[in-house]
Amino acid sequence: MHNREWDVKSIVNIVSNPAVIAVSASVAALALASSATAQNSQSPSQAPTRAQTENRPSTLDNSGDPTLALTRPLRGSGPAPAGSKPPNPDPKNFEGVWWLKGYEYMIGPGPGIEPPLKPQYMDILKRRIRAKNAGKPETDTSTQCFPHGMPRLMESPYPIEIVQTPGRVTILHEVAHEVRRFYLDQQHPKDVKISYLGHSVAHWEGDTLVVDTVGINAASFIDDEGSSHSDKEHIVERFHKIDGGRQLQVDTTVEDPVTLEHPYSYSRYFQWRPDVRPSEYICEENNRNAPVNGVTVAQ
Amino acid sequence: MRKTLSLLAAGAALAALPALAHAQGANHPDFTGAWIVSPYKAALKPADGAAVPLKPEAKKVYDQHLAAAAKGDRTWDETSICLPEGLPRLQTINEPFEIMQKSNAMYFVAQNRLPWRAYFNEKLPDDPDPMYLGYHVAKWEGAKLVVDSSGFRDASVLDDSGIPHSEKLHLTATYEMGADNKTMSVTWRIEDPDTFTKPWTAKASFKRMPANFQFPEEVCAAKLQSTAPKRAG
Repeated sequence: MHNREWDVKSIVNIVSNPAVIAVSASVAALALASSATAQNSQSPSQAPTRAQTENRPSTLDNSGDPTLALTRPLRGSGPAPAGSKPPNPDPKNFEGVWWLKGYEYMIGPGPGIEPPLKPQYMDILKRRIRAKNAGKPETDTSTQCFPHGMPRLMESPYPIEIVQTPGRVTILHEVAHEVRRFYLDQQHPKDVKISYLGHSVAHWEGDTLVVDTVGINAASFIDDEGSSHSDKEHIVERFHKIDGGRQLQVDTTVEDPVTLEHPYSYSRYFQWRPDVRPSEYICEENNRNAPVNGVTVAQ
Repeated sequence: MRKTLSLLAAGAALAALPALAHAQGANHPDFTGAWIVSPYKAALKPADGAAVPLKPEAKKVYDQHLAAAAKGDRTWDETSICLPEGLPRLQTINEPFEIMQKSNAMYFVAQNRLPWRAYFNEKLPDDPDPMYLGYHVAKWEGAKLVVDSSGFRDASVLDDSGIPHSEKLHLTATYEMGADNKTMSVTWRIEDPDTFTKPWTAKASFKRMPANFQFPEEVCAAKLQSTAPKRAG
């Protein structure tokens, strides 16, 4: 091996299934969900729900219906090892590799709390959770090697790398080698073309980078569990460094007049990980799935 | 799977190299921006006008690729099922890519294909785990940017015409900015003792995309329409 070493400690599944760490790509989340589901479904009545163990409100986990049990989160990245390159002291310099501290399968206003979905979209979420808990998860864009969509892409257990160039901030995601480009101090085009990751413009408010994203393809979901959004979804993310630059806080607001009763917000934290080099991620080589017409499709 | 840098090894590598000024140096051209090959050519040609110095077995493979492609059969081409292009192919396909020039590394990013990075003041790994786009280090030679690459998987081909290569492929790319700052050239020294009888060089020219160019989203899987995801529910 060359001068890098495997770091299997960096993603730790709290359901203690180390095999899932080696699962690549788009089905990683699906596989993780399945493993967690298997645990849940083996003895759903005996196992405490997330809401019970973490003493949090959750409509789904507290429903008394074990078929609606949520997939437990991943712990995500820890801090960089001692002796790693220190973060850049410039509060507006986000350049480098970052890694999400935790990974939630459902992205709501709090851990384990569902987004404020309108009733018909809550029904879809429940249907998808039940299908997953029955061991027959429904597909989504990522399981077909299409982009994850937004805000789901930001909720990835793989590292990201930020590059800042004149007029631009770019996020290179390891997952599915997806790229987000933020155009600084510009307006969205009047005729935004619908795309999986949408069109993003950004500006600085002090040391906070404010990113505005629209034009997101409705084929994707807000999160891994299956909270719906439409192509009217509007996302505002506020990026700023905390903890002496060792963490990047991202406060996200999701608005969608079609699927949501009202906008909601949540915060995520990315660890400064200068010791990590993003690797290649080849969704199409995930042989867990059978090839259909030349592309892999989840069974 | 995940790899991290070995700090000790990285530190030793750094210590072994001179502390060079790089990327943001005043005398270095700025390659940052979007580029596209111009003119597009499906096949890399040796700069000396000779034939590609393929070994007999490799020539047999290349001839098979050419014959199949002439019949419309590109099943030999990994990109036909959305697997990544290797290099230099990723830069010579007829689609734009961008370069982001930073002090620590050069970033090469297309949309939405694998990005790759060439790090300054580092050494290539001695025993790399092969990847489609390999491993890269960069250095400045005056105004020229030189990117040294190895550690490639042999699942890709060198160009759209299907020139094969092995995992022993070693590329040395020299980037030169045009006088107008709107064009650049890249010259590749291509060395692969399992595929070629000798090292050879190929060259391509590139032009800058307009300043207001924004990369459209590109989804390879979408080209295979039968699997396009549909809105659930």
